Amino acid sequence: MDAIKSFIDAFADPRLFFSLAVGSLALVVWGHEAFASKRWGWGLMAFLVALFGFGLTDENFNLIITKPDNVPIVGLIFLLLFFTWYSVRQGVLNDRRIAAGKPPIEKDEEDRVWTWPDLVYTELIAIVICTIIIIVWSIALEAPLEQPANSANTPNPSKAPWYFLGLQEMLVYFDPWLAGVVLPTLIIVGLMAIPYIDKNPKGNGYYTFKERSVEITLFLFGFVVLWSSLIVLGTFLRGPNWNFFGPFEYWDIHKLEALTNVQLSEVIWVQLFAVALPDSWFIREIFGILLVIGYIAVLPVVLAKKGLTKYYEKLGPVRYYVTVLLFLSMLSLPVKMLARWLFNLKYIVSIPELFFNI
Amino acid sequence: MADKRAVGHAYNIDFLNVVFAVSSLFVLFTTVWMIWDDYDREWKNYQRDFTVLEMEVTRAGLTQAQQDIDQARVAELTAERVVAEQGLASNATQMDELEADLAEIDRELFVARQTYQFTKANYDVDRYAFEVRREEAHAEDPEAEVSGEAAVTALYEEWLAQGLDVEALSARRDGVRGQLASLREGVSGIDEELASLTAEIERLADVVADLEPSLIKNLLNAPMLDLMAPTLTVRQTITPNILDDVNFTVVPKLDRCETCHLAIDRVGYENYPQPFRTHPNLDVYVGSASPHSIESTGCTVCHEGMGQSISFIDASHTPATETQKAQWEEDYHWEESHLWDYPMLPTGMVEASCAKCHKGEVFVPEADNLNLAYGMYERAGCYACHKTAGFEGLRKPGPNLTKLESKLTEEWVANWIRDPRAVKPSTWMPRVWYNSNTDSPEDAVRNEVEIDAVVAYLFANSDDHEFAVANPGPGNAEEGQRLVESVGCLACHITGDETREAAGPRRTFGQPLQSVGSKTTVAWLFDWVRDPRHYNADTFMPDLRLTDSEVADVAAYLSGLTGGTGTGAGATYQAADVDAVLLDYLRAIVPFEEAQAELAAMSADERQLDLGRRAIGRYGCFSCHEISGFEDTQAIGTELSAEGSKLLPQFDFAFMHEEIPHSKRDWIKSKLLDPRIYDRNRILQPLEKLRMPNFGFSDDEARLLTTAVLSFQRDVQPKVAQVPRSARKDAIIDGRNLVRRRNCVACHEIEGDGGNYRDLVEEPHLAPPLLTPEGAKVQPDWLYAFFRDPITIRPWLDVRMPTFGLDDAHWNGVLDYFAAISDAVGPFRTHEAVADATELRTGEELFDLLRCQQCHVLDTIPEGQDLATLAPDLRMSPERLQPDWVLEWMIRPLDIQPGTNMPNFFTEYPGSFYPQFDQDAVAQIRSIRDYLWTFSGGPSPVRGN
Repeated sequence: MDAIKSFIDAFADPRLFFSLAVGSLALVVWGHEAFASKRWGWGLMAFLVALFGFGLTDENFNLIITKPDNVPIVGLIFLLLFFTWYSVRQGVLNDRRIAAGKPPIEKDEEDRVWTWPDLVYTELIAIVICTIIIIVWSIALEAPLEQPANSANTPNPSKAPWYFLGLQEMLVYFDPWLAGVVLPTLIIVGLMAIPYIDKNPKGNGYYTFKERSVEITLFLFGFVVLWSSLIVLGTFLRGPNWNFFGPFEYWDIHKLEALTNVQLSEVIWVQLFAVALPDSWFIREIFGILLVIGYIAVLPVVLAKKGLTKYYEKLGPVRYYVTVLLFLSMLSLPVKMLARWLFNLKYIVSIPELFFNI
Repeated sequence: MADKRAVGHAYNIDFLNVVFAVSSLFVLFTTVWMIWDDYDREWKNYQRDFTVLEMEVTRAGLTQAQQDIDQARVAELTAERVVAEQGLASNATQMDELEADLAEIDRELFVARQTYQFTKANYDVDRYAFEVRREEAHAEDPEAEVSGEAAVTALYEEWLAQGLDVEALSARRDGVRGQLASLREGVSGIDEELASLTAEIERLADVVADLEPSLIKNLLNAPMLDLMAPTLTVRQTITPNILDDVNFTVVPKLDRCETCHLAIDRVGYENYPQPFRTHPNLDVYVGSASPHSIESTGCTVCHEGMGQSISFIDASHTPATETQKAQWEEDYHWEESHLWDYPMLPTGMVEASCAKCHKGEVFVPEADNLNLAYGMYERAGCYACHKTAGFEGLRKPGPNLTKLESKLTEEWVANWIRDPRAVKPSTWMPRVWYNSNTDSPEDAVRNEVEIDAVVAYLFANSDDHEFAVANPGPGNAEEGQRLVESVGCLACHITGDETREAAGPRRTFGQPLQSVGSKTTVAWLFDWVRDPRHYNADTFMPDLRLTDSEVADVAAYLSGLTGGTGTGAGATYQAADVDAVLLDYLRAIVPFEEAQAELAAMSADERQLDLGRRAIGRYGCFSCHEISGFEDTQAIGTELSAEGSKLLPQFDFAFMHEEIPHSKRDWIKSKLLDPRIYDRNRILQPLEKLRMPNFGFSDDEARLLTTAVLSFQRDVQPKVAQVPRSARKDAIIDGRNLVRRRNCVACHEIEGDGGNYRDLVEEPHLAPPLLTPEGAKVQPDWLYAFFRDPITIRPWLDVRMPTFGLDDAHWNGVLDYFAAISDAVGPFRTHEAVADATELRTGEELFDLLRCQQCHVLDTIPEGQDLATLAPDLRMSPERLQPDWVLEWMIRPLDIQPGTNMPNFFTEYPGSFYPQFDQDAVAQIRSIRDYLWTFSGGPSPVRGN
């Protein structure tokens, strides 16, 4: 038992966790046919239950998951798995019907139902069930009365509300103005822009996987991997000083992590050119600035010529550029993560003189 | 249900019906559960239990009251009442008439009053209407005539006339009532007496009736219905002057403890289990007449914890003992609170909160734990390293080391600091080396290098000391022992194997004398005891005015107290080891090259001395001891002035988070028990290690010191919550501090505290006197002279008042303090007693009759006099005593000084047992006093002995 826990703890690392999330997504996309089977669905659910059941035997893990604030996230993990599986399964089933020349299941059904009883009755039942859940929740998980807030005493770790923990995780890799302002704005704007960008009528009103595999993959990557899995990571695996802790590890405030990160300018000037850093910030950071400009301005053009030509032709220049920019912004997080993990790279552009870092 | 057509249904309606039915049932169950959960709350159950208990206790009280009542008197009164009733019979007709009259008058009066009030109401309305009308008319035309004033005036007259009717009727009614009462006088007097006899029974019977379970009460407290007016309610106290700091502002405290602690302020529940037990000290706390009533003080300002909470766990209760902790863990799943910054203090530490309002007081009456804790805090010298508000400007607690060479040998000092308690088990000197983070074999060399370097530094910087007497003669050790054990040395010093904890901070105020003979020479002891100030001008050791031959005896005795030589060196080392350690110290402040250069420039001796200086600086020896070269160095410890307010996350448990419970008090206590404990399992360079020395505190000492540390809090409570300050209060606080910091209380009991010397003498009257009434008793001039140059007042005492050599500011402080505690501060008082000859004769005769001289022997004490019966020489009276006090003293000696041998001759005061003197006791006492004032020639500090 302890050996398993130590084993899991020893591997607990944001890199491994993130790779595992990406890997799982790749497996789901690659093996969606198999994943859609009930055996896999129930199997994974059983695996998750077993994992938590095992975890509950541990004092430290127990402390984290039974904390009233964290209970919704435990629920979220199960719901996330279920709905991912369900949507893929429905899509796969429809794909099979379409391949066999039949319309999707949804087309077989009536497209109009009675308000009463079908709509109102189900809504009523939903209300009743929600009431039950809320009453039981409020009896079982009492909200504690805590000490008065104290500006002189910041809790360690200081965690955002659970739904923002993904954003907070981004703070590890980006400056607050990016992780807290620019990227969330892009997420909201991007979500609003989807209907205007994606005019493809396939998949409207019915589940499908094959017809929209790229979009679904992108969505799952953005939502499940970058958003939800980082919430899970932030809740369960980030402890005091925002250090990474194994699920069965004691949250020791003294745990240390070596901070040996470097800036891109240091890599280029000191390591590559073997000269001291230039005094002028502009010259010092010029390569980083060029790189960023290249990433957001040149790369889309290059991709339009080669690689995404099909999309460029289909979407037209404006929609193409907006799409690629949003896509590249989303990818900037894993890019930054990889740069950190592989090269200890802290900032690509670092201008502390202007409080500006990328 | 909707008709089931083939089209238009997304779901199977029959299935939906089942789902709906099941979920409806569930919602019903959960609603019932919710109501039950509210009904079954912890505090409601406690209140239900208490109703039963209260009933039980009140019934018992009622039964007791019924038994206690004077049955004979009740029967007698009842019989008398029957007789009186019969007496009334003759007046029956008259009384009936009067009753009828009264009823008629009452009716008329009712009507008259109503008419009177209605008229007044109408008059007010009409008057206002007229005023407005006139005001409006005059605004247009100031000369305008406005009609209607006559009607208003008429109404006013009518109202006045009706008032006269009411007055007349009231007078008539009172007349009839008076007649009735006089007829019934006999009976009503008996009724009153009966009522007063049975008042308590009736009150209790009413309470029992109120407590009886009833349908109404059950309904009011029933589930769901209890939202209206339940008798089970949350009870709370809001204290406007006691504040809670909620970080951004302060708010009045809100305590709901009484919701469960229902009998906290009620006598009679002392032996019931919690939460229904009465507060153990209602005279001082909680009680409505106490200085800390529940309305003014609340609960959590003293006990801490979350006052708003009404659940056992959320209120942050803290167990007092391990057994209780285990019990709570089982009963309530108790665990250390993490949701409240100030969990409740365990019973033994509650007094830490006294200091929130009793600011700067080293002695808080009734707070025995805290007082002892502060005594210990000073004696252990905590304040010397840890700056602490309220303990500033105190002397260095350890001996002066600037003249070490004349007193000690290097070997002894090395053995001593290696492990002080191995030499003197009860010393307060802590162990600096060989502690839990430096006691491994690898540390031994470094320890020895540092110890020797410190010793070398101290001896190299020791000034010369010339003994006052070059060759004192030999002394008699036996006589010396007698002196030490009788003149009062033992008030501050212990000689035997008593533990420090048993002896307490007062009796270890001076160095323990265990193995002092192995420590120093007879010559030094002689020089020191003869005149402590000769060796150290700032010492607190007073002069006991021994003759040189007595001093020689004492020195001979003390030098015979040999014993513990301590622990020998734990390792040997080479010169290179000294260099290595010194280099380590140097590298911490200068670059390596420079450190090496500095080292190379020094000779071997210089290196050792430099290391000694640095080690003394690092370990802070200079904080407690005067050491040459460290006169202006700052103390090394963390400031503790607000340590009690520091939040738990700021305490570093290091790797001890499994072993030590997560609470401030456990952190502090563990630190006191092993100051280096938080270094355990850590890899640290020598200069990174914790350096607080180990005092070898016992568990109880650690608990008390933790209480002291927790009492150091930041200011939250406002001035109005504190005892109002005045010149008198300041004199009391300063005086209380002074008599403790000079250890006066080791010998004298003052304000009910101290007088520990009593334990060392066979009979209480052989102990130094009680000083509480001193301010009222003696004349300040005399007392001042006595302080400066004490004389023998009670020749039968072996213990003697030492000469302290304090300055006038201190003595004035003591005089003010004594005056303040005996309420003798005030206008100038005469010390003169004017008397006439007759009075004096009476006084003299009484003096002889009462045989005052038998105890108050004037002049020489006769051979064979029983010491237990002796009292001070009354020839001192006119110069020494306050004339008014002498009168008080003769009236109630036992009140002024409990346990005194002085008999009370005037128990019938102001009556007298001595009628032969044509006076009452007041005059008799006065004449005795006046007679005393004719005395003279006794011993006097003013005129010389």
